[in-house]
This record gives sequence, structure tokens and C-alpha cells, in this order.
Amino acid sequence: MISAAQGFAATWRRRALGFTRPRRVEALPVALDRRRIYVLPTRFGLFIAALLGTMLVGALNYNNNPALLLGFLLAATAQLSLHATHLALSGIRLRDARAVPVYAGDDSILELRFDALRARPRPGLVLACGAARTVFSLPGADDVQVELSLATTRRGWLLPGRLTLSTTQPLGLARAWSYFWPDLRLLVYPALEIHAPPLPTHEGTGDRMRVRAQGEEPHHLRDYRVGDPPRQVAWKASARTGKLLVREYEAHSDRDIRLDWNTLASLPYEARISRLARWVVEADRANARYALVLPGQLLGPAQGHAHRHACLQALALLPHG
Amino acid sequence: MARTPSPALDRRSRTWCLAAAFACALPLLLLVPHWLAATLLAASGIGIALAWKRPAPSALRFLLTFALVGLVFSAYSFRLGRDTASSLLLAMLMFKPIELNTLRDARSLVGFSLFALFAAFLLDQGPLTLALALPAAGFAFASCARLADAEVGAIGLATNWKRIAAIGGLFALAAPLALAGFWLFPRLGSPLWGVPDVARAKVGISDRMAPGDWIDLLSDDTPAFRVRFDGPMPPQDSLYWRGLVMWNFDGRGWTQPAWPLGMRPAAQVPASRPVRYEVTLEPTDRHYLFALDLPQDAPEGAILAQDLSLAAQESVKSLLTYTMRSAAPARFEPDLAPGVRAVALRLPPGFNPRTIALAQRWRSETNDDAAIVRRALAMYHEKFSYSLAAPPLGRDSVDEFLFDTKIGYCEHFSSSFTFLMRAAGIPARVVTGYVGGYRNTIGDYWLVRQSDAHAWSEVWLPGRGWMRVDPTAAVAPERVFRRAADNAAGPGGGTTLGKLLDVGDWIRHGWNDFVLGFNSVRQQSLLSAFGVHNPDSGDLAIAFGVATGLLLAIVGLFQLRDRGPRRDPLLRAWSRFTGRLARVHLRKLPHEPALAYARRVAPLLSLQGEDVLALSQRFVSARYARPDMDDQARSALIKALRAFRIRDRARS
Repeated sequence: MISAAQGFAATWRRRALGFTRPRRVEALPVALDRRRIYVLPTRFGLFIAALLGTMLVGALNYNNNPALLLGFLLAATAQLSLHATHLALSGIRLRDARAVPVYAGDDSILELRFDALRARPRPGLVLACGAARTVFSLPGADDVQVELSLATTRRGWLLPGRLTLSTTQPLGLARAWSYFWPDLRLLVYPALEIHAPPLPTHEGTGDRMRVRAQGEEPHHLRDYRVGDPPRQVAWKASARTGKLLVREYEAHSDRDIRLDWNTLASLPYEARISRLARWVVEADRANARYALVLPGQLLGPAQGHAHRHACLQALALLPHG
Repeated sequence: MARTPSPALDRRSRTWCLAAAFACALPLLLLVPHWLAATLLAASGIGIALAWKRPAPSALRFLLTFALVGLVFSAYSFRLGRDTASSLLLAMLMFKPIELNTLRDARSLVGFSLFALFAAFLLDQGPLTLALALPAAGFAFASCARLADAEVGAIGLATNWKRIAAIGGLFALAAPLALAGFWLFPRLGSPLWGVPDVARAKVGISDRMAPGDWIDLLSDDTPAFRVRFDGPMPPQDSLYWRGLVMWNFDGRGWTQPAWPLGMRPAAQVPASRPVRYEVTLEPTDRHYLFALDLPQDAPEGAILAQDLSLAAQESVKSLLTYTMRSAAPARFEPDLAPGVRAVALRLPPGFNPRTIALAQRWRSETNDDAAIVRRALAMYHEKFSYSLAAPPLGRDSVDEFLFDTKIGYCEHFSSSFTFLMRAAGIPARVVTGYVGGYRNTIGDYWLVRQSDAHAWSEVWLPGRGWMRVDPTAAVAPERVFRRAADNAAGPGGGTTLGKLLDVGDWIRHGWNDFVLGFNSVRQQSLLSAFGVHNPDSGDLAIAFGVATGLLLAIVGLFQLRDRGPRRDPLLRAWSRFTGRLARVHLRKLPHEPALAYARRVAPLLSLQGEDVLALSQRFVSARYARPDMDDQARSALIKALRAFRIRDRARS
């Protein structure tokens, strides 16, 4: 019964949303005007309206003039507060919106820049996107930067969809709201594998490893991971700090690291992506040249920030298995 | 839908809502009996203190609710009336803060508080109540604003004072709309349902008079009614305000019978031209009205009884204004019907034997009624004295008064005199009302207070009819007109305080006139000033719609105006400067940098080209190159930009 009612309400909400503006994605900047601001009384507003209505009818009936005067004053104030609620949103402009890509599971910080066409103090603005919400105020016409942190769960494009800007200022009697629908696609990188084996520097054996280990300078120490060869453990440093540390070597080798999808056939689909993502990050941190081999595409070999982004993006956009 | 639990209330919002609730309770607290108000305040204070840290147990809340409800009902002797209901609401309001934990609680408290303000107006419509109610309502709305901030977690964004100022601004904008509603919203000619009675009777003349009852009344200085004479006023010693005519005596007290209401007013022959006046009667919750001896006709909605007492069809629950004509009689009911005569002579058997014996002795000595009246008055004048501290009387009250105590006030005198006359065979009755009044020279009206209450007698003499006899005046005329004499110098004896009191009462009278007296009749006459005669409620609705529409538009423009931080004064001076150049058709293009513009227009000006260039250069360097420019140089530049005037014409 309850779930049926909920379903009904949800259907209607969806339908109502279909009628509201904007009906499609829009290019920024976008300013709010009266055509797309919606105002409805809140529950509290309805309560106050019923209260004032009762009091006015009573006062009219008894021809109780002071009560009538007070009742009309309160009713007029409530009415004007509705205007104020509308005006608190009217003229707000969303200048731009952007976000830095994050790994799945982390919060994506959506940075939005608002200003106002008309200078007016606008406190208590609530920006919401799904479950995420943040409160800010526009003191005048100047730019205000607002950050909205969106929870991410899976890799790929995150479409925030419509952002709701609402306020119940000044009295909480009515809620004015409006939607922004910026053309916004936030990239979510795959989640990084937490205990990934070290980089497959060569698809070779221990011999080569040793040669390489001798020929290169230890770069820095990092935490031990399962699978690290024992000879790489920095025993002295480990004894000092109380946890196992492993030497890492800077890859001065001319050899490129090859991160190959096909070598990880033993892992489940998403785990492969996670591991490759981790390796991309590691390789980038090691300032190595690396190539990423994915089904049907080859990235690199190259190095640097752009390459890292290209690799992670390619991994993020692999079809969901 | 599953309701999400209401968010908890932070401590300062809670304090804030409590303060608002108290402000709203204050007008009612002043109107209920003082001991009840004190008890409620104390109970609520203790309850709030107990529940401050954590919610009070529900058993305790239950108990407290019952106790308070019981207390209120017992305060009004378990009678229901609008004062009982208001006090119950007050008790609830005082009790509600005990469970003030969530936003929802706070909002319902604010709603309750607003309702309490209206309940206060049911009990009192004075200017003080409104003066207290307005800031209280502002307070309540300011706490709404705070709650709206608390709901989204933005309390820090505005200070409380800013919120109060914002509400004040909204009130100011709303005031014209409220007045439009007040004046133009169609009023009800007759109420849809009646005003509930009060459970506690107001002080005032009651429908029963027994010697010794009026001690409280005679020391009560609250106004009973105000009178404005239209034209000449009668001499002061004839200002007898007739109220109730009491025929029935039960041995102790006098009461008014119902039968005169059903009969036509008795015949009267006026002795002079009637005076016209307007009475504004404070609510009494009783039916009778007061008029100068003798009323000529009944005002609308009232009946003139056979004995020329006035009774309103509805009890007077709110301020009532009526216009009257009165004239002193030359003859008043000269032909007394036998039935009426019998009632006017009726005495309860077995009371006051000594008085009856005295009256019979007088009657055996003369047959002249007037002589007996004169003899009685002479007796009062010689042997009796006036005092409010009269000893209480026993069963044969008239005997004890006439032969033993011989001291009393108007109730004793009129009661004993009337009894004596009836015992001597002269038709007589008691009349209660007010006497005299105080003239407010500032407003030029008469104020009659409860303490002006008076009782006198009427006797019927052949050929003359009913005649007013005031035995109290025979004893102590100065006491009857005591107020009139005192009042000639003002209640404070002509001092500054007295003048202030005059002004205060005059304001109250104006309030009664302009605010309380506004009704559907006055509303119609308001529109007739605009050429709309006999408007119906449709016309009024149109007028209301037009007025509110216009006002909303004006107010909307006010709300629309920019109120952000002011623009940089340097920029404003610059745009003024370019504006002046634009007037001679040297408009700055929107995309044009300041310096490029100056270089373009400078050659076009014959005399001031150099100035324009120099000013623009200074502006550009102040605005873009040297943001740390000191204030003095900056204001000098602003001054120079503002002082710039076009003196020559553009060459092209």
C-alpha cells in the first residue's frame, strides 16, 4: 500500500519534472528568470496560512478591528515574503561548472561559480544534486565559488543531471526552487587496486631484475606489498620505522613499461581495470615511459600528465562488464 | 511517504523561539487574573528549566497539562467563556516550550504564539494590546526567519538583529497592503456566529442592586462610556444617565422585571428641546444601555421599555456607539395604569415593620404625596450622613438603616427611600445608572467612569407623573456631584499628570472612534467619498482588488531594487564623466578601452581635449595600474571626474 503510494508519487514527480524548465541540457552561463523559478508554500507556510485564515475570518465575524489589522499585516507580510523568496533566486547566474576527475569511490568535487545579475543579498541558498547538498549565500553581485561534493561509485562518466537551487528565505513559508542543467560530464577514473603487485617492469625473470637493480639508483622507499621480492626490502630502514619498507628504483632504462590487458587474463574484468589503473598511477609516479595495451587500443608509450589522463580515461570508459 | 524526523533545534534558536513565545503571551498575561498569570509563568519557568537539558518525561508533561487545565477552569469557576478559552490557550502556550526539541516543535510554538495574539484581542481591543502585539508578531516572524536558516544549517549567515531589521522592513512594506485590507475588505454586516460570552463578569452596574454591593464599583475608575454632545449640553446637575429601572424588591435587593420590555414606552411631555449626543459604550456583556434622563427614542438594535429604560437586543460584547436624543420631562406617564400602579406599590410582606409604621403615621397626617416626599427628604437631610464605610445591614435592612445606622451611600438612600414611599402609598421605583461625568477639555467629550455609578428613586405624583428624587443629594449633594466638582480641575487637579491623563484618554477615545468603530456602515461611507454610493460587497471586492493590486505593484518595485554593495565610487564617477561626453555625441563604445576612447575623442574637442586625455589617464592608472593608490589621491580623482563639465562643442 505504502510502496504503491510511493511509486505513484515518484511517477508524478518524474512527470512534473518533465514539465519544468529547463527541459534539456543548456550551455553556461545561465541566469534564472521568472519563467523557471517555481514557488510553492512549505508545510509550515500552509500551517501559517490556515492559521491566519482562521484568525481573519474570526476577526471579520466579530468585527474585531485590531485583530483584523494585525491579521492583514501578517498576511501581507507573508505574501511579500513569497515575493522575497522568488527574488532571492531571480537573477542568479551560473557562470561555469567543472570538476577534477577522481577515482571511483572518492567524492567528486564539483566547482560551480555563481554571480547575480542584480545585486541583492541572497542568504541561505541550497544547491542540491541528488543526495549532495551545500548551502551558500550571494552577498551581492560578485562571483561566489561553490563546491558540491558528489559521491561516485563506478568508473566512467558521471552525469550529475539537473542541479536544484532552492531557498526558503526569508521566513520559511515558501520554497522557491529552480533547476540548472549544465552540460556536465564528470570523469570518474576506475578505483585503484589497493594491494596491487609491483609494476611489471619487464615481463622477464629474476636475472634481469638483478641486473637492473644493480644498475640503477634506489629512488625512494615505499610500503611493502605482497609479491615484492625479499631482496628489495630495505631491512635497515624497516627496522628503524617498525614496518616493512621496500626500495624502489627510478626507471632510467630505455625500456618502456608495457601494461598489458592480456597478461592479466587470470583476474576478473573489473579487477584487471583496477590493477591497470594502479599501475598507470605507479608508472606515472615513477616518471616512467609506459604503454597501455587495452582490447582494441594501444596508448603510448609516452609519459607525463596528459598520457596518464589518457590512460586512466581509456580505462574508465571501458565498457562495463 | 516516510516522514524524515524533524531536525533538532540548536540552543540559541530555542532561546529565540522562547523569547518570541513570551512576547506573544504577554498581552494575554496582562489580561487574565494576575494570580493566574503569575502561576502560569512560574509553572512554565520551572517546566522549561527541567526540560532544558533533556526532554521531560511524558508522565510529567501529562500531569502538568492536567494541572494547568484544572487550574484555569477553577479560576473561571468551571464556566466556559471566551476568557476561559483564551486562558486555556495561554496555558498551552506557556506549557508548549517544555517540549521544544525539534524544528517542528519550534514552528508549532510560533504558530500557537500568533494565535495567542488574536485571543488577546478577543478580550481587549485597546491600543496597548495592539502596541504589544505588533512587536511580538515581528518577533515571532523573526524567529520564523531564524528557523528557516536553521533548517538549511545556515544560522551563521545572518545575525538576529539583521533578521529583526528585515522583518521590520517587510512590515513597513506590508503596512499599506494591510491598511487596504482593513478599509476595503468587505465587512460582514451581521456576524455569522455570535461572540462567546465571558465567564467572569466585568465590573459594572449589575441587574441587581442591594445596599452595600457597590463598594468595588464605586472605587473603580475604568471608563463606562464616553459622550459627545452635539450642540448645547444640559446643565451639569441634570446629568443623570438612566440605566436600569428596578421595580421588584425582595426584602434585600432590587431587580428589574421583564414586563416593561414588552410594553410601549410610557407617555412623556418634554420640558425643553431634546439634546443630541453620541454615547460610546465600553463592552459590558450585558443588555442594558445608558441614556440621559429621559431618552426620546431607542437607537437601532435596542428597545425602549415602558419605564424608559433601554435594552440592546444583543449583549454589548464590543464597543458600541449609539446616537440618542434626550429631554427632561415636564410630565412623565401622568396617567398610571392600575396594574403598573400596583407593581409600583408592591412590598414583600414581613419586612421592615418600623418603616411601614412610620410611613403610615405620615400618611395619616397628610394626604399630600408631595408633602410626604418633602418630609422624607428633610429627614434624610437632618439626620443622615454619607459614607462609603457603611456598616452592613441585617434582615430588615431598611429599618436598620433608617433607625439605627443612619449612614450609607446612594444604594442605601435610594433603597430605603423607595421602600418608605411605597409604604406610604406613593408609587415609587429605583433607578440605577451613572451621574455626572468628567469633561475632557482636550477632546471635548464627557468621560463617565464606573465610579460614577449611582442609584436614585422615582416617585409618581398625581398630575406630574414620575419624578426623579435623589435622596443622596438631599444628604450630601457634594457627594453626588463630587466627581463633577473634582473633575472640573481634572483628575490630577489640573496638574501636568492630569493633563497627561486627559491626553491618554483622548487618544483612547480617538482609537475607539477610528479603529474600533470601523464597521460595514463606516466602510460604505468611506467609499461614498469616492463617488460610489451604496456599495455592495462586490463593489468592495473590486475596490479591494484594485487597491491591493496597485499596492502590490508598487511594493514589488521596491522589493526589486538593487540592494547589493554599492558600486565603486571611482567607477561611478567615471561613468558620469563618460555620460557627460556622450551628451555631446561622444559616446564610449561598450568594447572600447578607456584610454583608446580618450585618444579617439580628445582631438574632437577643441578646448578640453587635453583635460579629457589627462583625466582618462589618471583614471586608467588608478583603476588598473595602482590598486594600492592612497585614498586622498583617489578621492581627488573622483572629485575631478565629477567636476568635469563640457564647455566647448564637438568639432564635428
